[in-house]
Amino acid sequence: MRLLVSWLKDFVDVPGSADEIAGTLGLRGFEVAGIEPAGPGDAVIDVEVTANRPDCLSVIGLAREIATAYGLPLRTPAADPDAAIALAAAPAGGADRVQVIDEDAALCPRYAAAVAEVIPVATPAWMAGRLQAAGIRPISAIVDLTNYVNVELGQPMHAFDLARLAGGTIRIRRARPGETIRTLDGVARTLEADMLVIADADRAQAIAGVMGGADSEVTGSTREVVFESACFDPASVRRTSRRLQLKTEASIRFERGSDPGAPVMALRRAIALMQQMCAGRLSGPIVDRYPSPRERRRLRLRRARVKLLLGATPPDAEIVRILEGLGLEVAAAGGGWDVAAPTFRVDLLREADLIEEVGRHYGLDRIEPTFPPAMTPTPPPDPRIARDRLVRRLLTAAGLSEAVSFGFIEARAAAAFAPDGGPDAVSIANPLSAKFDTLRASLVPGLVDALAHNRRHGLRDVRLFEIGARFAASGETRGVAVAWTGNAGSEHWSGGGRDVDFFDVKGLVEQICAALGAEIRCVPAATPFLVAGQTAAILGPQGQAIGLLGVVAPAAADRRGLPRQDRVVVGELNLDALDAIGVPAADRTRPLPRHPAVVRDLSIIVPDALPAATIRGTMQAAAADLKAPLAGTALFDRYQGQGVPEASVSLSIRLTFQAPDRTLTDAEVQQSVEQILAALVREHGAVRR
Amino acid sequence: MALPDAADVQVEVARFEAELARAASPREAQAARDRFLGRRNSVVASWMQTIASAPPEQKKQIGRLANELKQAVEERWRRYAAGAEAAARPAGAVDVTLPGRARPLGHRHPLTVVRDQMEEIFSRMGFALVEGPEVEDEWHCFDALNMPAEHPARDMQDTLYLASPVAGDAGAPGDRRTLLRTHTSAMQIRYMLAHTPPIRIVVPGRVYRRDDLDLTHTPAFSQIEGLVVGEGISLADLKGTLAAFARDMFGTGSRLRLRPSFFPYTEPSAEVDISCWKCDGAGCAMCKRTGWIEILGCGMVHPAVFEAVGYDPERYTGFAWGIGIERVAILRYQVEDIRLFYENDLRFLEQFPH
Repeated sequence: MRLLVSWLKDFVDVPGSADEIAGTLGLRGFEVAGIEPAGPGDAVIDVEVTANRPDCLSVIGLAREIATAYGLPLRTPAADPDAAIALAAAPAGGADRVQVIDEDAALCPRYAAAVAEVIPVATPAWMAGRLQAAGIRPISAIVDLTNYVNVELGQPMHAFDLARLAGGTIRIRRARPGETIRTLDGVARTLEADMLVIADADRAQAIAGVMGGADSEVTGSTREVVFESACFDPASVRRTSRRLQLKTEASIRFERGSDPGAPVMALRRAIALMQQMCAGRLSGPIVDRYPSPRERRRLRLRRARVKLLLGATPPDAEIVRILEGLGLEVAAAGGGWDVAAPTFRVDLLREADLIEEVGRHYGLDRIEPTFPPAMTPTPPPDPRIARDRLVRRLLTAAGLSEAVSFGFIEARAAAAFAPDGGPDAVSIANPLSAKFDTLRASLVPGLVDALAHNRRHGLRDVRLFEIGARFAASGETRGVAVAWTGNAGSEHWSGGGRDVDFFDVKGLVEQICAALGAEIRCVPAATPFLVAGQTAAILGPQGQAIGLLGVVAPAAADRRGLPRQDRVVVGELNLDALDAIGVPAADRTRPLPRHPAVVRDLSIIVPDALPAATIRGTMQAAAADLKAPLAGTALFDRYQGQGVPEASVSLSIRLTFQAPDRTLTDAEVQQSVEQILAALVREHGAVRR
Repeated sequence: MALPDAADVQVEVARFEAELARAASPREAQAARDRFLGRRNSVVASWMQTIASAPPEQKKQIGRLANELKQAVEERWRRYAAGAEAAARPAGAVDVTLPGRARPLGHRHPLTVVRDQMEEIFSRMGFALVEGPEVEDEWHCFDALNMPAEHPARDMQDTLYLASPVAGDAGAPGDRRTLLRTHTSAMQIRYMLAHTPPIRIVVPGRVYRRDDLDLTHTPAFSQIEGLVVGEGISLADLKGTLAAFARDMFGTGSRLRLRPSFFPYTEPSAEVDISCWKCDGAGCAMCKRTGWIEILGCGMVHPAVFEAVGYDPERYTGFAWGIGIERVAILRYQVEDIRLFYENDLRFLEQFPH
């Protein structure tokens, strides 16, 4: 709302500069977007009016706020011709020149109209100037005066060319299915059956509360006009305006709620202006269809409630002054006040709304801060927060930096990284851009794009992780993903630099799972975006799907702008699924072993296609019958090449034996090693080296 | 040559110490020693020589001074040599100035750094940390928050809707999520439905809006929502809580300004400005010369919200707020372009703490 200071002063004799007025408005809930000079001694204050205050989309509304803030009287529109805001006397008698039929009092609770003969004059310079300051282009005297009333009083008006209304009739009704209208902006529009229109005997001549029609537009040849000043249902206007994508000065006001008490007053103001401008003569009485006049809302305001909600005690006199200044009727009643809210305050619905008005004008700055006492101990944080922090710590300590990407990606990226081609992907119904039209089912595509960004900017070693939500039709889960390209460690003078591989990322996966107490295993898997043979599914103890791990296929990398030759290793874990299988650390410590462990190394040659997990399983199975209890096995060397037959591999395994109750003898350890070896020979044809 | 006197001893000793200190190698140190103690042409030797030409009554005195100088210089040399020996590299010595062997540390994302700090501050104030789902339904996101069906916030241009619904928590039947939450306030509703007052929570999380990506807007951003509900909770408590937060987060001198505003789910509502921490309210480029920085929206929980979750609004009052984490991060780290937070450029990320 562009508020011209000199116009404001028609209503209230406010002292001080535009800056001061703007500052006052700002602290009363009206943010000021800017102040522009507007001629000598005048300025326009660009006020941002919140959606709950349609009454302040007008000069009088803001003037009422200013008057209350400064404790000054407000000049209201009066029937006195010498008044600053003069209203024409309501003419009585005479036959209606236009027939008004309101068929839908629900969507149009009030419709007032008056007919006037037009006298062709130019819009006076003062009025054109004020309209321009308010951001409205002057058009013609009749149209301009309706716009003027809209800005001044917040009541949108319209003028029809009476000669163009078939049957001299105004019929307020729903649009007929498929009914069309060419609006004032020259656009032909097709209406829907629940849109309200202002029609003549034959067809729609305006879209109620949104825009007039071109066919009944007031032109230079118009002899007689019908002024419309009405009240329309806000929800209906909003729906219509939104569906037609047509936002106007009128629709903005109506959709927030206009004053059902204003239409006749606005009409009388328009007539007064018309007479003052010599732009026309009234040719009939004011028609007013208002079948169920809206009562002022009566509310109770309790003094104790003001204190409770604000935590401050404004004096009674100040509470009354504020509410009366804002146009409310206030009567003291035990413990507080009975209050009647004016019809233009569509936002005052309950006691809390009144308390806000008191707080707003009392000044929120005058409320002394206090700290709320804690009545109960604080519950522990959401366990996901601590879990995510732990995972974040592990990964930053491992040299990965944290990435954050949007929750959505382009459909192409989602499809490229979907484990099963992505039929499950959830798309956005109303995306603003195709780049963000699909909810991510995985964190990997976002990280791959981030890697590509970094590689484009010349970084070679890029290690990123992200913790965030993933979406599927089955629900939302939180995951962690890592993506790693370049050096596995860091460049060091002692050498040892090598490119990242599958096992670097598998190590991270294992560490995260270990930290969360979850036992997992990897099994070979295949997915289109990972290199065949270097892909693993991560499973829980009962085969629960936990995640995926592997080397990104060059074709997939290439599609996302990564150099084909880069090796990119990614891994992703479902943190919620990990929580479900995680076992909290035992609360009780085990006593330290009292008898020494015995360590034996065993080197064998086995076929190289034999999974390490199978060998581990064979050894553990064999351990059941051993004299010396097997406490652990560790693969500490894996060798292929000279001395090892083709398609075979040499494995060196460290076996640790330990008994809780005795010191193991050499003989029983030796026998146990032989038994394990025998099992490996039997099951896998292993050969001892 | 003039005859040496007592003061000269001190001068020469000081000169010797300075030369030792300047010596860059054992060889240079040895040369310095020789210049003072050598058999020929050294300082001590030249003093000895002056004895021969000195008047008889002074010979004894000069001899004493020369001896004193000799002992002092020898004493300094012994000390120096002992130190040098300690500094010499024993067998197997390593160059301790070479870089250590470690994988470089990764960095937390700046949005996490800010979020962690806020979580820590509010935890200390007795707030429980709670998280909620990012996919929501209309009731939790709008209706229950006093935003009925025709409310502008529900317009298609603000909210991102899902083309097909997503199952809710634990797949409860009928729990269909149809949109991406536009604010963390949706979690107020879920929490209040599951708990009874008193309540004191903060809810960090991601929210989504139908906004284009530009210098100052992103279609997704992060918030920290706060909610306090109890008996006798007032706007004064809201001010006190946020003022304590501001002092912790932005500096002990921070002041708070509340400007009335409008949110459907709070009444009264306010925007909160914090005195500019760069210029302390004097006016600078960061605060656009106003001295104040708008930081969050807040208010007293609207009674209609309490009614939606089955709380008695006569008995309970409360306050809520929402802080934009990006906004704080932008101001704190002077980030010109909000998109930097989402590009994940390591050159940017590496500027933030581990």
